Amino acid sequence: MDIDDDYAMQEQESDPVQPENYEEEEVEQTRSEPKAGKVRGSIYDPLDDDDDEDEEEEEEEEDHRGRKRAKHRHRRNAVNRFLDVEAEVDTEEEDEEEEDDAGGDEFIAEPGFEGDEEDVNRRAAVNARLDRRERELNDQDLAKIAQNLHERYRSAGVRYTGDMNEVPQRLLMPSVHDASLWQVRVKPGRERDIVFSLMRKATDLEYTTQPISILSAFERDSLPGMIYVEARSAQQVNQACKGLVGVYPSRGVTLVPIEEMASLLQIKKQDLTVTPGTWVRVKRGKYQGDLAQVMDITENGEDVGLKFIPRIDLNPRDDASVDGRKRKKATAGVPTMRPPQRFFNYEEVVKVYGRKQVSKRNQVYVFQNDTYKDGFIEKDFKLSALQLDDVNPTLDEITRFTRGQDGAENENPVDLSIIAEASRKAAISVLQPGDHVEVFEGEQAGVHGVVDSINQDVVTVTAIGVDLEGQKVDVPARSVRKRFKPGDHVKVMTGQNADETGLVVSVSDNVITFLSDMSMQEVSVFSKDLREAAEVGSGTNIVGNYELHDLVQLDLQTVGVIFKTERDSFRVLDQNGQVRLVQPHQISMRRDSNRAIATDSEGHELRVNDNVREIDGETRKGRVLHIHQSFFAFLHNRDVPENGGVFVTRARSLASLAPKGNLVKPGTDLGKMNPHVAGGATTGGMVGSAMARGPRDRDIGALVTVVKGPQKGYVGIIKDTNGNLARVELHTGNKVITIDKQKLCRRLPDGTLLPLNKPYNPNVGQGGFKTPGAPARTPNPYAQATGGRTPGFTGGRTPNPYVNGDGRTPASKTPNPFGGDSGKTPAWNPSSRTPAWNASSRTPNPYQDGGKTPAWNASSRTPNPYANNGSPSWGNDGGRTPGSGYGRGWGSPSDNNTWGNSPARPADASYSSWSAPTPAAAPTPFSAPTPAASYSSAATPRTMGSAGFMHSAPTPGVSTADEDDSTPTWLLDPVFQNKKVLVEITSTLGTWHGGELNGAKGFVTSVFRTPGDTLIAIEHIDPGRAGTTVDVPINYLSPVRPEQVGDHALVLEGTDRGIEVILSQQVASEIWQVSKSLDSDMITCLETAMVKLHVK
Amino acid sequence: MATVKAIIPQQAKSKYLRACLLCSLIQMPMDFRKVGCPNCEEIMQMKGSPDRIAVCTTTYFDGIVAVIDPESSWVARWQRTSKYVRGMYAVRVKGRVPEDVEAELESRGIKYRPRDQTDQD
Repeated sequence: MDIDDDYAMQEQESDPVQPENYEEEEVEQTRSEPKAGKVRGSIYDPLDDDDDEDEEEEEEEEDHRGRKRAKHRHRRNAVNRFLDVEAEVDTEEEDEEEEDDAGGDEFIAEPGFEGDEEDVNRRAAVNARLDRRERELNDQDLAKIAQNLHERYRSAGVRYTGDMNEVPQRLLMPSVHDASLWQVRVKPGRERDIVFSLMRKATDLEYTTQPISILSAFERDSLPGMIYVEARSAQQVNQACKGLVGVYPSRGVTLVPIEEMASLLQIKKQDLTVTPGTWVRVKRGKYQGDLAQVMDITENGEDVGLKFIPRIDLNPRDDASVDGRKRKKATAGVPTMRPPQRFFNYEEVVKVYGRKQVSKRNQVYVFQNDTYKDGFIEKDFKLSALQLDDVNPTLDEITRFTRGQDGAENENPVDLSIIAEASRKAAISVLQPGDHVEVFEGEQAGVHGVVDSINQDVVTVTAIGVDLEGQKVDVPARSVRKRFKPGDHVKVMTGQNADETGLVVSVSDNVITFLSDMSMQEVSVFSKDLREAAEVGSGTNIVGNYELHDLVQLDLQTVGVIFKTERDSFRVLDQNGQVRLVQPHQISMRRDSNRAIATDSEGHELRVNDNVREIDGETRKGRVLHIHQSFFAFLHNRDVPENGGVFVTRARSLASLAPKGNLVKPGTDLGKMNPHVAGGATTGGMVGSAMARGPRDRDIGALVTVVKGPQKGYVGIIKDTNGNLARVELHTGNKVITIDKQKLCRRLPDGTLLPLNKPYNPNVGQGGFKTPGAPARTPNPYAQATGGRTPGFTGGRTPNPYVNGDGRTPASKTPNPFGGDSGKTPAWNPSSRTPAWNASSRTPNPYQDGGKTPAWNASSRTPNPYANNGSPSWGNDGGRTPGSGYGRGWGSPSDNNTWGNSPARPADASYSSWSAPTPAAAPTPFSAPTPAASYSSAATPRTMGSAGFMHSAPTPGVSTADEDDSTPTWLLDPVFQNKKVLVEITSTLGTWHGGELNGAKGFVTSVFRTPGDTLIAIEHIDPGRAGTTVDVPINYLSPVRPEQVGDHALVLEGTDRGIEVILSQQVASEIWQVSKSLDSDMITCLETAMVKLHVK
Repeated sequence: MATVKAIIPQQAKSKYLRACLLCSLIQMPMDFRKVGCPNCEEIMQMKGSPDRIAVCTTTYFDGIVAVIDPESSWVARWQRTSKYVRGMYAVRVKGRVPEDVEAELESRGIKYRPRDQTDQD
């Protein structure tokens, strides 16, 4: 049926049958007109709008049946109308049938009938009505039309038409007639707000006198800091943006070129599809960065169910799990370290959190609102909280994942295809011409050959194989992978196994397993990371921050030298000679021994990189790698097979291969060796340790002020130094900071600052030598000697310097024989011509200072006599025989001693030190600790005289012993060497080796003199220790006296000094008649003037 | 059409903003519940039905357009929203309408264009 017929039939109906209704019909038609006009072209027009139908229905209440039927066809709610097309058709058909039965009104039914058959026909019907309506339009009551329009638009529910969906996008490209887009700078992060503000502003100002005339505005997440406004002119844009916070019109409103407009709206993020099994990473929160596997996705793709390894805090803060309030407080505080990844373990969690916290449903545990299954946590995440690209799961992570809770291999093997896919892209970049590759996908799958050339993503492969031999094939780079076969020798180019080499043992797709040359373990890597290589990689010698042959601190007591590096561990030889396998994290720090100095067996200085030889044992040679605490030396010799040629030995058993100059080099400033003159590091220890500075920095202990940086102005004490860095304990806040030494200045007691690198003499600050004329302030006039004046001369001005000095030193509390005696002796007279005066007066005095008196250690108030070292008067003393000085000073009492050895001998000093009965040993001066100390040290000048240097002066430790007078300084005399003199270790008072060796006896095997210390090596004779040797500071030794007839002994005093005798008869108490072993001459000798010899 | 407009969400930052999958209009979920989608309520039936809103709208969209004058705006035309009410629209919406809506569109002969810019012609 065609349109005209349709129309004609309608006409027929209205005209002859019901002429009175004509007008009404007209109205109805006009009502539908705007609708038809609006949605012209839509096939659904006749089915539109219930309301219209309702109105019509009311109007036509009295209408005939057929007409009602026709209405009925339309009466459906909006949903059903569109969802239930078939049903509608059925109803219509029924209607038609009924109408047919009735035998009337076919023309009304007609259009519906058509529609049932075909949409095209329905459209035709529409058009027919439209045509009719248009023809009647002139007759319309325009007011009525307007009213109807209004009613229509007030009605709810606008039909969805998708009206523009048919238009291809390219036809929507902007034209010159469209408004322009303007780029406006805004505050980053505020783009959305501003777009919303513009919308609201437009709404608010719509009916004002100044409406906003922009058409639209938009922002893109991928274009931060700018929005785009659609408007006809920039002025409109400015007007719209005026007053909005965060918009920067001043930075320019830029016109977007017309050809770029569309692309602004086409910006598309790389669409990342998430499918179950995908690996993702969590972006934020406790699990930030953790790898997770997608389990399921909600329908709209917003929420993703993930499975990953939980991080349960198994050490929660106290009460945290009990009291909610406290927990809140705890979490509000400093964020604690996040717990490590760990599979959920019911027992563990219950132990920590209690049974109530964990519930079990089926196979799943619920704990703190999270579900745990098979040790994994299963949790829903927003897609936006996940990182989908660049996930790059490592082999380790995935293995851990698949291995599961119990560490057992899971049912399903590792699906490496996922990571393989991810890394395939990277694989393209590692291909190089000459690589052996195979094509694993696409048409050429299976072909293998050698890469001929690479042109971006296309690889030209010269095929190798049966029928393709020699042909060049172009394949996409992502379709090829490097090909290896078992037996190939490969090298890992990247990744954590980088630089490993080995033999391929198996190939499984793109995972190659090879046997490492280094660790002899199987390593699996992707073929993309491999290259064929002939070399056998030893890897690098550097692991972490540590390198081969580094001296590293393992724990507080242990240091060691790395002699072998493995892939992620070291072999370290510690100072006790033990080999340890350590991981980098077990090393607390690297030690720097570049400036360490030790003393070798000959008393020479030993430094790093010296070539040395052991003097005993295996007499190994080697180069000094490191020195530790001036005692242990780590040597390296390539010829030594074990431990990579590294071995450890004691510095004192080494001898330099290259002869060195005399120990005291000419021009050496002795003053620098003096700890008191040289620096502030007087916190104890042996003098020697400060002299051969070794690992100890003399700045340690210094009071410093920070002069640069954020801590500027803070005062602290240097606790430790490492290279150029110092660890400073600040006075404030009890904080230790590490800071560059350059930023520190020494803080002097008077508050002035001195750069650390300048030598500092504590005395300077006290003005000790600056006020030579004020002896009252200078405790000891010798302190002034640094000023270049000899004490003797100073003494000339200060009538009795010792009185003054004593007045200040603690020593003054003890009777000072020198103070009293010498004050009266003419020797104290400055006019004295006795050359020995200096020596004798000096001798006691230094030991008042240098003795155990607190003055030595704590307050540097008591100047050290050695400050005088540089002075000419000292030189005089050294050149003189101090013994003779003694002869003068103390000679007279010993002149009439009973045993009658000639007192004038230089040995008198030491001789008298052993002579208890002599007046010199009278209780008064010598039994008092301080004078005793000074007395024992009487030997020193002689020693100096004979040895030619002063460093053998007994250390302060000497005076800690009450029996210092027995210190066998005579051992240093050459005549007593190699004589197996028996000595006993005494007087250690627990300070040396914890007193363990107190009382042990042994014979002297060798004597070491070092600056500041004298060590005697003795070989034990006591059962249990026999045969072993030990180095003992000389001041801990006392001679063993011969006690019975037949004992071999050495004479210590007199003309027969150094002569070996055999006791033959005891004359009186402590007096023996002895026979010389050489000529059997009998002499009489004091027991205390002899020392027993070790006789095998 | 200019007289009708969508409810403009009060807070731009709200992470609860949802975009209609069919017309890309952005509203708060509460507004979707109260009035539905002014453009496609007739077909989406979201009014009063949170379940429907959950499947017919999404939070996963990118870019926001304030369509002030839909009829004459090129942006709206490009976005195929020029016949829609004025309001906030998403530039790109991820996801597809539920299958029943898609079937309905098909039965009406309307070409369904997902809003995720996947099809370009």
